[in-house]
Amino acid sequence: MSASVQERPVIPPSATARPTRRPGAGGSRRARGNHPLWFLVPAFAVLAVFFFLPTLFNFIYALTDWSSFKSEIAFVGTQNFADLISSGTLLASLRITIVYAVLVAVFQNVFGLLLALLLERDTRVNRFARVMFFVPVVMSALAVGYIFQAFLKPDGALNGVLSAVFGTTISIPWLGSTTWTLVVVAVIHAWKWMGLSMLIYLAGLKTISEDVLEAARLDGSSAWRTFRDIRFPLLAPAVTFNVATALLGSMNGFDIVQATTGGGPARTTELLNIFIFRTFGQGLFAQATTMSLVLFLVVMVLAFPVIRTLRKREDVL
Amino acid sequence: MKRYLAITATALSVGLLATACSDPGAGGGTQPSGGSGTEAAWPAQDADLDGTTLTIWAAQNSATVPDSVIAAFEESTGATVEVVTIPDPYEQGVQTKVATGDKPDLAFWQPTESSLSALNATTNLQPLEDAPWIEGTTPALQDITGLLDDTRYAALVSSPAVEGVYYNKEVFEANGITDLPTDWDSFLATARELDSAGVTPFYEMGGDRWATQWWIHVQLADAAEDGLWDRINTGEEKFTDETVLGTIETYQGLIDEGLFNDDIATATFEDQGDALLAGDAAMVVQVNSFFGQLQAKADTAELDEKIGFFPISPTGNVGTFIPDQSNALVAFKTGDAGREAASRQLLSFWLGDGYPAFLEEQNTVSLQDGVDSPSTVPQALLSVHDSLGDSVGSMQVSAVANPDLYIFLADMIQGTTTPEQVAQQTQDQFVQLARAQGVEGF
Repeated sequence: MSASVQERPVIPPSATARPTRRPGAGGSRRARGNHPLWFLVPAFAVLAVFFFLPTLFNFIYALTDWSSFKSEIAFVGTQNFADLISSGTLLASLRITIVYAVLVAVFQNVFGLLLALLLERDTRVNRFARVMFFVPVVMSALAVGYIFQAFLKPDGALNGVLSAVFGTTISIPWLGSTTWTLVVVAVIHAWKWMGLSMLIYLAGLKTISEDVLEAARLDGSSAWRTFRDIRFPLLAPAVTFNVATALLGSMNGFDIVQATTGGGPARTTELLNIFIFRTFGQGLFAQATTMSLVLFLVVMVLAFPVIRTLRKREDVL
Repeated sequence: MKRYLAITATALSVGLLATACSDPGAGGGTQPSGGSGTEAAWPAQDADLDGTTLTIWAAQNSATVPDSVIAAFEESTGATVEVVTIPDPYEQGVQTKVATGDKPDLAFWQPTESSLSALNATTNLQPLEDAPWIEGTTPALQDITGLLDDTRYAALVSSPAVEGVYYNKEVFEANGITDLPTDWDSFLATARELDSAGVTPFYEMGGDRWATQWWIHVQLADAAEDGLWDRINTGEEKFTDETVLGTIETYQGLIDEGLFNDDIATATFEDQGDALLAGDAAMVVQVNSFFGQLQAKADTAELDEKIGFFPISPTGNVGTFIPDQSNALVAFKTGDAGREAASRQLLSFWLGDGYPAFLEEQNTVSLQDGVDSPSTVPQALLSVHDSLGDSVGSMQVSAVANPDLYIFLADMIQGTTTPEQVAQQTQDQFVQLARAQGVEGF
């Protein structure tokens, strides 16, 4: 009771800071003097050349018949879109891509969060383990893919280990199922990136005030209850970042899947980017551009509601 | 805000005016440069090239092919020749680089019509008219490939691949098969005989996919002779029509019948080689690169003893040829007349003074009448080469575009599509590619 009385007169830090930030005429000039706008020019120039311009060209070339077969490029309107939609392969690839992205988002965050909780305390063993789990993040994605391809072959190491354990010859083609291979490659993708999620969740866990947790303990809250009702909601910003990057990043996935399965078996793991790569390799540059435009639009359409929803969860803070 | 928009819009429109709607790959090639015009001059094979550096693009499996030729050429002319390995998938890498304006002096390239048009040969490649080596080339092979619209763009340096049947002689012998199949029916009869004797007749590599299409090509040999591809090229006939669809259904039928290896869906190129060499399977429908793999696994004596080759077609023993990237080279129009001439000089040296040493090192069959093949060439390769003269072109050779038939077939092997769907997907992609090329009728 006395605590609440004492707290009342405390002025929030933001309130004290406000007067100096208020945009008075002099202050504004000073602010501008401190941060000249033209400092942004180099960054924007790079952004313009390597992002805005290619994106713009993406829109333009999608409406042409640019190919490796001839030198002239002619305007063909929306024919590329019409062809792609009517053939059905684009939609199939898009479906695979979205399923893959959702699976990666789920696996990567579950793995990352579990690791973060497991390795939360700053012991020597935990520090070492964190580094080990972070190693795949800095590994080449292609190397990861090729390693897993060898590991999961019918005569690969995994079946070798299983055979030794069970005492019979096991030769499961882990990458041979037309249904489950997509899940396997999503797990591989999540395995590679779970170290990053772990790191961000660890940082998030560290920001949770010790007082809150102590209060929960004093109120007799169980570890699970504390996690479910206090720690997880307070992790909202970390969840936003991790889910958004995992989901939207794996929409653009290519390297791991290309190295592991090349899109097979029977193109059941052919992500849109692999399909684009194959089309581009056929010399059909305009069609490939159209597909990447579609991917760009799909990522945009997905990004806004996903990030909005996740940001809403942060309102508890 | 408005001002920023205006600036951005101006900047973008300037950028667009400067770059849009021009193909970077077209630069420098539209004008015939130097001696590469209508009358290509062919320098003497040993003309001095001090200070000239030539670049050859090669795939991982062809990067060491030119070693002996290059060493001798450098010695003889003073030129420097660099081989740059383009990572696999080679064709896609090269096409992308060329499309963005990056060109070597020479490159290994599949000399078929569809592949040459994929490089936009008329714009990017030097025509090799009146090449000095043509006269000495075995007559049947002079114009077998490398031509697009009657202009020569590629130099064939080694015997083009032929699709046919590689078989294990010991397995045939052990099962009392003494006469080789003489047509499709006797081919299948042999397979069924082996099957009932408990031997796996055929081995297919559904995991690595690319060999699946050979089964369709060899069944189409008679139709190809009869102008099938001309009709497909004009849209008169389709992959979905009975001729092609029927072969896909036959292939599926043979798989369903159990004439193939059990692990057909996952087996790889490597597995296929091991299986035939070990006698785990009796026959494999494959091309020369398969035999190349066997050569890496066994020596000539063992191969002569174990492995044989016979071509097959519906009504006889006609092979289907399909030159690949390691068989031929193309010379690019680079805009530098000196280097373009030097490229042509290297090609004429390769098929001239440098040819015997090249054959010796590659242990392969000669295409030049005046040059003998090395005595160490395995028997199967000689059989392959012998079948070349009366063979017919595969889809890659004769169709204007090269759809991913092998991928669609591999999907069928995995059980996700039907023969009808395979034919439809192939046809759709063929139309798409033909339209991109501006082929009439699409």
